[in-house]
Amino acid sequence: MTRYAVRAEDIWKDYKIYRPFEGQGSSLKEVLNHPIRWLTRKNKSTAEIKADGTFWALKGVSFEVQHGESIGLIGRNGAGKSTLLKIISRITRPSRGKLTLYEHVNSLLEIGTGFNGELSGRDNIYLNGSFLGMKYKEIKSRFDEIVAFSEIEEFIDTPVKYYSSGMYVRLAFSVAVHLTPELLLLDEVLAVGDAGFQIKSQQKMKELIRSGATIIFVSHNSAAVKDICKRAIWLDHGSLKMDGLSTEVVDEYNKTCTIK
Amino acid sequence: MTKSMTPIVVVPRKGLEFPDLHEVWEFKDLLFFLIRRDLKVRFQQTFIGVLWIVLQPLIQMLIFFVIFGILVKVPTDGIPYPVFYLSGYVVWQLFLQIVNSSATSLLGNITIITKIYFPRLTLPLSTMIGAVIDFLVSFSLLLVFLLANNYPFTDRFLLLPFLVLLTMIFSEGVGLLFGALMVIFRDTKNLLGFILQIWMYITPILYPMTIVPEKYKLFFFINPLTGLVDAFRWVFLGTNSLPSLEYFLVSSVMAVIILLIGMMAFRSMENRIADVM
Repeated sequence: MTRYAVRAEDIWKDYKIYRPFEGQGSSLKEVLNHPIRWLTRKNKSTAEIKADGTFWALKGVSFEVQHGESIGLIGRNGAGKSTLLKIISRITRPSRGKLTLYEHVNSLLEIGTGFNGELSGRDNIYLNGSFLGMKYKEIKSRFDEIVAFSEIEEFIDTPVKYYSSGMYVRLAFSVAVHLTPELLLLDEVLAVGDAGFQIKSQQKMKELIRSGATIIFVSHNSAAVKDICKRAIWLDHGSLKMDGLSTEVVDEYNKTCTIK
Repeated sequence: MTKSMTPIVVVPRKGLEFPDLHEVWEFKDLLFFLIRRDLKVRFQQTFIGVLWIVLQPLIQMLIFFVIFGILVKVPTDGIPYPVFYLSGYVVWQLFLQIVNSSATSLLGNITIITKIYFPRLTLPLSTMIGAVIDFLVSFSLLLVFLLANNYPFTDRFLLLPFLVLLTMIFSEGVGLLFGALMVIFRDTKNLLGFILQIWMYITPILYPMTIVPEKYKLFFFINPLTGLVDAFRWVFLGTNSLPSLEYFLVSSVMAVIILLIGMMAFRSMENRIADVM
């Protein structure tokens, strides 16, 4: 039975590039200091940025993700990968188009988001889990597993500000992958911890995929994308360039990277 | 865990929207952990810890007492200084704390907001509840002073929950409005401190309404806090007269309207903040 996880229909996203007198995000001072310039403000347009400071990060992207799929999102810097993840994770809304989510989303766009240095590892697991929309009971039932995976048992009641960066990152990764509901969004987070932990986290992701989780994964690591994901989507300048088997898409993409 | 959910449709924002309160309720566990976080972080590594929550209003009252009671000698309608100041201070502090924390809740949590989705309203809501916890502590302190000064615990106190609720609604509305403004104009952050300072001086906290000249009284009662402080003092001390029922009706409706506007402004900014940052 096919079941959708995500459907993106013609997603557009524009950003107002910050330039003085743009209005949005401008400080009162700019307006007060140069009222005439503010009233008569005009900006030149470039290829990417329109006269009114509009930059289209996504230009009509459509795709469907089925339940249980693992998708690698690839493309150059500024291709719109992170913007797309932000829209799927509902951090920002599209400017045009429609996105439908059929599964609970858990985004791991940055390691340790919502962690508070003053709080212990234990407190942070609960806080972080509840940010991700988990209930107290759900977190509690997975608590021991999270701690064991992160390998920080002895320091679980120490404020995380005393953690080494490795410990911190392991705990954060562990919380996110163990509290995963159905759809996990990952942005460049596999480069986490030492080599041993990297292998462990890749294994964990494969395990999640096997257990039926849907994963969308942004990475510049071609090997990891090929290894973990069956399917890959290649974004280029805000448009969908290629969508297919990860091995084929990654190879095509790599070709464009070597040609200078 | 794999229960099927009703699909969420994400479309461009259009005009004014109202926060999804049902979703906030779904995240009630987050609300609890946020309140706990703020309390824990506040007293972490302080020497006397939670004692600060009692000490803060006490020290503040002492400062008022020395400056306005002993040095300036502001009349208090014959009410002993400690109870007079503390009875006004608890109300003001509730307002101040809610406004300040709600106003900064979007910008102050920007690193989380740009990385995880959760109903943003949980942030100002959690700090509002935190402020009410503080209020309960300083209120208990006030009770001690009231009993020590022979002001009995009467049935007037039945009005207290309603007054607290009204203060919460009004303060949260003001805080959310400032919070939304802060996203567009960062200058608001610097201005807010001064605005609140002026607000405190035009509210009868450090002086009674009786010393305000008759011709300015109307101006004072435009400020919804004036009526609230007066009503709280009536509950605590029973000396001044309770503002009229009409006044309460008008200020309740006003408070609710301000809250609704504040919530809509907050909602439109929470949509925008991830793009502006």
